[in-house]
Amino acid sequence: MRPPNGPFARLGAWLSRERVFRWIPFVLVEGTFILVIIIPFLLTIYISFLRWRANRPFEQAYLSGFRNYEAVLSDTGFWAALGRTFYFAGFAVVFELVIGFVLAMLVHRVVRGRRIYITVFLIPMMVVPVVVGYNFSMIYIDHGPLNQLLSPLTTLLGMEPRIRWLSDPLAAQWAIILADVWQWTSLTFLIFLSGFSALPPQLISAARVMGASRWQIFWWVEFPLLKPAIVIAVVVRSMEALKLFDPVVLLTFGGPGTSTQTVAYYLWEQVWQFNKFAFGAAASILLLILFSALIFTGIWLMMRERTRLDRERAS
Amino acid sequence: MRIDRVTARAPIAVACAAGLLLAAGAATGAEYGPVAQRAIDGAKAYVKAKGLKNPTLDILLNSLYRNSFPDFAKEWQGLTGVAIKAEPLGYTDIPSKVMGEAVAKTGAFDMFNDFPYTQPDAASAGVLKPLDEYAAKYKPDFSGVPEAFIAQQFYNGKQYSFVLDGDHIILVLRKDIVENPKAREEFKKATGKDLGCPANMADWEEQAKFFHTEAGQTRWGVKFDKPLYGAMGYRSVNFSHRHFPAYFGGLLFDKDMNPRINSAQGTKAITAFSSIVQYMPKDIQGWGTPQIYPFWASGQAYSVMSFPSIFGYGNANPKSLVKQKQVPCVIPASTASEKPVRRAAEAAGTGYMVNSYSDHPELAYLFIQWLTSPSVGNRAIAHPRGFWDPFRKANIGHKGILKKFGQEFLDVTLENAQYTTSLLYIEGHYEYMKILDNNLADVMNGNIKPEEAAKRVEKGWNGVTEDIGRKEQIEAWRKGVAAGLYIDKF
Repeated sequence: MRPPNGPFARLGAWLSRERVFRWIPFVLVEGTFILVIIIPFLLTIYISFLRWRANRPFEQAYLSGFRNYEAVLSDTGFWAALGRTFYFAGFAVVFELVIGFVLAMLVHRVVRGRRIYITVFLIPMMVVPVVVGYNFSMIYIDHGPLNQLLSPLTTLLGMEPRIRWLSDPLAAQWAIILADVWQWTSLTFLIFLSGFSALPPQLISAARVMGASRWQIFWWVEFPLLKPAIVIAVVVRSMEALKLFDPVVLLTFGGPGTSTQTVAYYLWEQVWQFNKFAFGAAASILLLILFSALIFTGIWLMMRERTRLDRERAS
Repeated sequence: MRIDRVTARAPIAVACAAGLLLAAGAATGAEYGPVAQRAIDGAKAYVKAKGLKNPTLDILLNSLYRNSFPDFAKEWQGLTGVAIKAEPLGYTDIPSKVMGEAVAKTGAFDMFNDFPYTQPDAASAGVLKPLDEYAAKYKPDFSGVPEAFIAQQFYNGKQYSFVLDGDHIILVLRKDIVENPKAREEFKKATGKDLGCPANMADWEEQAKFFHTEAGQTRWGVKFDKPLYGAMGYRSVNFSHRHFPAYFGGLLFDKDMNPRINSAQGTKAITAFSSIVQYMPKDIQGWGTPQIYPFWASGQAYSVMSFPSIFGYGNANPKSLVKQKQVPCVIPASTASEKPVRRAAEAAGTGYMVNSYSDHPELAYLFIQWLTSPSVGNRAIAHPRGFWDPFRKANIGHKGILKKFGQEFLDVTLENAQYTTSLLYIEGHYEYMKILDNNLADVMNGNIKPEEAAKRVEKGWNGVTEDIGRKEQIEAWRKGVAAGLYIDKF
């Protein structure tokens, strides 16, 4: 057998060697990880210690210690945006969980037209956020369809029939929460539906044979078994909701005033509108620490629940 | 026989063709003034000297011009062989793209088309090419352009852009109501004043209050099925600050960059700015141009303070109910300032800048000089699908502009141009103005009093000044004031 000729053939032969080949996936994955995660992350940390706005050349930047961190932590706008983010995320996730759970429970019990229901309920999740934002901006116009729909109720309650969904500070906040709930309830619905589908039928049959009512079966059999799905839904949606950005930009641009500014919007504005790259980097690092702690807590809760259920099943 | 006929016609055809060519040549010579012609000749010479084959320039274009700009790009290509590739983008996203380029230094765009207020940041970041060297070589013409517009092309003494858009805010009233004899009589009886363009902001609010009408009412022989709002204006975040100078009527800082807003003048201006909102559509704080223009055209408001193009929109939009029912007015005077001064802020107004990292900055400059030259600029402003607004004296005599805007509007807008003042034209513009917008919103929503807003704005502005560098900001601010950017002086 002749040795391979040409540089490509020789490279191919070298890569085919067992001790080289087994390293290829590792090098590719780790290389990509270092390139797109580690290096930008280290750069962000470095920039967060600089005195630099992008309206001056980077060459003029210099190290300034924890100045940016101090500036972020002493900025009332940052804390207000953070608080607002938790407020939006809290309400949105609760509504998405409850509505998604109820819809999944109902669809799980439906026999005819189940696929149609599933398709319809999943559509919002697949709509491009820009389209959702545009549609809701039309729906929320003060003389628009939502106010017309609500007018019998608002008239009955003696309220102003033209609710300023996008220009009243409180209404604008709820306008964003509603838009988020409309789009992302689909995801919780999907998670819960798969949870319901995975319920072991023999346990439910056994409970039924033992004379348990529907409510008792739900509360004592189905609900505990669905806890891992609930934790997954809570963690996944909370992670996303804390990054709430699209509806804010598309519906209110953070306004009126700062009443709908989330922390993601706040960061975007500081960096891309005000050119405060170093300040934004410091804020990002602080948020990373905060959100990581929350997410790890969520994951730890999920793991603990799963372990507990595994133990119960094993015993 | 056929051959004979053709042979006989040939000299006539040749003569006709020659005549047409001569006529076309004459027309071309008349079409391009000396400034445009210098740019054309310069571009041809540049391409030849550099040996460029199929040269292309990229421009980051304000998407408002996506339907009109290509006509001029095509014309330029025909004249010089230089293609212009436009990348349209929403105006809210352009500043961040420009500043991104300042960091990335890719040279992906040869030119930027944006509001002048991006310039201070971009110029200081080094992403904009100073154009003075090219201007000295190719000699542009700014005759008949108001001082503030010329000054907006410069920053810290260097030229960075060319302006082709007079976006100074004006007031438009409903002609059918203003000329309604019963309405005039009632107004006179109620206020003791003749109805017409308001002299100052207080007069405008008085008119807005008088004409604000609930749905179902019948007034001056007119039945209103829908409400008639007394006024409209920009009151949303990112827009409020564009109207505020008209209310403030003076410099926002003293010569040492100390804010002047926390004063009786500032409080009065904030109060007047917020007070008239009660006569505007309820959702006005969430509205930008895409909502305000159609609403005005729907005939549901008595008056609107806006960009000049709203007048053309009201007349040209097929669904408009206010066609030929509009009265253009110069900006009402401020009632907050010591003297009643009219200040029409250049609220937007797009300019053209050259990227420092472009491979062919001189060629990009030449296209910009050609496009903004008096002769081509006139045609751009007259373009039926364009959003360029008149701003220089030479615009008056152009038939296309006259046809598009009408004599009455042209007279008013060019008078208004004399009151044009720049918005704050220093580094950090967007941050300073956002602080103002946020606090104005808080006042309009009843969260804080005007006095508190003035204090907060002062504190916020001082913070931005310190963060960017007080010394540099003072220097740029003083130069801008001296150059006539704001009409007012220290």
